[in-house]
Amino acid sequence: MSSATNLERLYDEHAQALFAFALNLLRHEADTRDVLQELFIKVARNPRLLEGVQDHRGFLLRLVHNLAIDLVRRRAARDRKGEQAAAQEGALFAATDSPDEEVFAASLAEALGELPPDQRAVVHLKLWERLTFEQIAATLDISPNTAASRYRYAIDKLRERLRPIYDEIK
Amino acid sequence: MKMDFEDYLRRQSIRPIPAPWRKEILRAARPQPQPQPAVSSWWREWLWPCPRAWAGLAAAWAFIFLMHLTTPDDPSSRQGGSASLQSFAFLQQETAIIAQLSAPEANRPAPPPPPAATKPRSSRRVKQSIG
Repeated sequence: MSSATNLERLYDEHAQALFAFALNLLRHEADTRDVLQELFIKVARNPRLLEGVQDHRGFLLRLVHNLAIDLVRRRAARDRKGEQAAAQEGALFAATDSPDEEVFAASLAEALGELPPDQRAVVHLKLWERLTFEQIAATLDISPNTAASRYRYAIDKLRERLRPIYDEIK
Repeated sequence: MKMDFEDYLRRQSIRPIPAPWRKEILRAARPQPQPQPAVSSWWREWLWPCPRAWAGLAAAWAFIFLMHLTTPDDPSSRQGGSASLQSFAFLQQETAIIAQLSAPEANRPAPPPPPAATKPRSSRRVKQSIG
């Protein structure tokens, strides 16, 4: 990444996916923005960071995951010190015209927020990034089996939590 | 059923990234401008470790200067001023005397002529008697 044009191209191609992943992990818009900015500053200051990387999206998702986990840990330490906890803000899903869809989206966002971050990361990458378990394993630095088991646990929890609304809509 | 549920979850689209972020993030990520001249960087290096301390020191000096300007002179300082004026006048007088004493002979004013010598009355009397 040697020029501003390349950085802009990188942003246009991947920022939406990185935003969605970070927002799902952090559930806080300002923190999500901080993570994205930190990521692009890191890429701009280390032009060779992406040299030899074939899957830019996977690599950037991995960086976002690491930055988000660091931020979650810092936030937890900050909360332990008695400072004000970062309130969840901003909707996760896009608004729709259907009231039923709206209710389901809100319930899904709430249910995702109740999942542990490591399960939430796997669910996000599987459902909304359509990655394979091997790709998820490479991104999160875990084994494919761990990725698959986390996904199954998470989907079972979501199904149980959302079953009443889902059955009603369907 | 299982696939339906997962497909339904997948259909929920996450909201788009706020548009203004693009400009802000890219501007923040852009390489920083070239370093400024050495003098400026030297100043920055000198002041950077504790800019608030320097600002506080500057404010303290400004306060002292303002206090100095706004506070009227006290009597003791006025007395000292008149004393120094007297000393100056005395010094001028001394300087004039020294200059007068050390001036060359030509410039020195001529001493007053000595009073004319009067002959003793006794000798006059002698001449008259001879004549």
